[in-house]
Amino acid sequence: MAQKNRAGTLAAFLAVLYYEFLWNIRKKKIIAIFIIIFAIATVQLAFAPIADAVANPPQTLQANPTFTFDGIAALTGIFLFLVGVATTMNTVSGEFESGTIVPLLTKPVSKTLVFAGKVVAAVTTLLAAYAFLVAYITVGGTLIYGPQDNLNVVPLGILGLTIGSMVWASIALTLGTLSKNSVLAALGSFGFYIGITIAGALIGSFLGASTILFYAPGMGASGTTGACAGLERGGGQTFSTGTDGLASMLMRWVLNPGQVLNFCGFQFRASGAPTTTLLSSDTFANVAFRDLWVSLVYVAGLLLLSWFAFRRSQIAES
Amino acid sequence: MPDDRAIETHDLSKKYGDRLAVDRLNLTVASKQVHGFLGPNGAGKSTTIKMMVGLLRPTSGSLSILGQGVRGDNPKVRRKLGYMPELPRFPKHLSGEELLDVYGRMYGMSKTERKGRIPELIKMVGLEGRGKDRIGKYSKGMQQRIGIAQALISDPELVILDEPSIGLDPVGMVEVRNMVKDIVKSGTTVFFSSHLLAEVQQVCDHVTVIHLGVMRYSGTLDGISSNVFARRRIVIELEKPVDSVLASLKTLKFATAEANMNTYTLHLDTREDVRAEISRAVTGAGGVIVRMQEEGGGLEDAFLSLVGKEGMA
Repeated sequence: MAQKNRAGTLAAFLAVLYYEFLWNIRKKKIIAIFIIIFAIATVQLAFAPIADAVANPPQTLQANPTFTFDGIAALTGIFLFLVGVATTMNTVSGEFESGTIVPLLTKPVSKTLVFAGKVVAAVTTLLAAYAFLVAYITVGGTLIYGPQDNLNVVPLGILGLTIGSMVWASIALTLGTLSKNSVLAALGSFGFYIGITIAGALIGSFLGASTILFYAPGMGASGTTGACAGLERGGGQTFSTGTDGLASMLMRWVLNPGQVLNFCGFQFRASGAPTTTLLSSDTFANVAFRDLWVSLVYVAGLLLLSWFAFRRSQIAES
Repeated sequence: MPDDRAIETHDLSKKYGDRLAVDRLNLTVASKQVHGFLGPNGAGKSTTIKMMVGLLRPTSGSLSILGQGVRGDNPKVRRKLGYMPELPRFPKHLSGEELLDVYGRMYGMSKTERKGRIPELIKMVGLEGRGKDRIGKYSKGMQQRIGIAQALISDPELVILDEPSIGLDPVGMVEVRNMVKDIVKSGTTVFFSSHLLAEVQQVCDHVTVIHLGVMRYSGTLDGISSNVFARRRIVIELEKPVDSVLASLKTLKFATAEANMNTYTLHLDTREDVRAEISRAVTGAGGVIVRMQEEGGGLEDAFLSLVGKEGMA
């Protein structure tokens, strides 16, 4: 009997997933996401050859074995936000707005399964979009810039992009479920994105790479492989370590797990320029692990809130 | 609970803020019955139905469908019932056949079952040749038809139809009514809400009348006329108007009278045959009767007396 129930639950879940995929595939918005992704990747690929061709005198295109790796690491901020929000802004609220939620919720599928199906479909859509993007820049990069290094960590990049985008997607999904309005979900998410970006920039300007930024969604704290002493930071590379930088961090976790990132702060004095001081240091492995669980906690917490709101929802109007 | 009850509610109530939409509803619908749920717009019909299918939580009271209590999210109950919402809206990007297919999957139907059932339903609701078209291209009538088809996809024990012919033209209404008659023939229990008495009269054998959230009558359709006091009228036409006739009619204890030229209307408060007394009152006041006719007292008047004239607006 229990086995039969489990089989019924699985069949119902797969049915919801099928319903969601049909919905996602035929939504013009999802097609638009793929077109935008294709356009961005094409610009990334074509920029150097075009710049070299129009330079005076024309330059010879140099081989770039890190093109794919750098291309994935560069996908942060507003890009992840837009793709994430576009995927889920009307996943639940769109059903309420169109009235299709009524026939759906009167089928023998629990609200929890309906919600789970929607979340799994959203994650799969994001994963497919980023896999397409990364595959395109990998193939294109190899053809244009020659053989690429570190392709073994590219799947981690796809995973990082998907989880990083899911943070924003979960915010849009939660706002949509609470408001039952797609426009409010999109605008609210954008407001949140702008707010958190401005707050992060202000904190970064006055306090430096403060601990609070390690746990905020978005760009997070900036870390450097160089030294903090003096305003001129000595010779290292700078990395964003927030949820938006997860793809880059996960790939570096595998490549350079023991390399140290320094997080610098400012010391303001009564007279003269502020000096930079070392606030904390951590390895890529630890930073990447922290980014990963911070992202997952955001996604899980927001989805839990959204699920609770969805389960409690009633449909008075239809 | 006995198995022959498809729907049973006990003191079922629903409040929206301070407004009581359904007030202590005690309703029983027997299995294999075609039960009409009749009431004017805003009576509480859709709210009651939404509680039955799990879209709304009752504020108080209890509700059982096919012997199982409905409390919270209960997919097991929904497995046995088909529901067509009032003015149904389906995903426009799906075709009619895809909609039935995806809903069939949700009922756990196998591919073979779906393959057999979908063309059968498409034919039954008169959408042959249009099953592969996107629902976004369907007319309102076609959406109602696909709405009926999706309610029947799993061959349910109980079908709940919320105003299935609302918004349709007269031809569409007749077609929907015929479809409901076809469902009934298969032995399925049908709970059918409408604000149109004529529609319920043609389809249902039992009826529950609800008004302002309160149940006014529940029983057989014929029972309304015999159990509910329906006001009758007697219209008298005189050879010419006589002032004293109205005064004389107004003295009658069992009626209220009004006059318009040489026509006098008496609204009766009795079931007795009072034509002789009325005749004596008219002739005694000097009037000459050329026509006397009794009106009302039928099902429509019984319904009116249950819901009040404002209910029919």
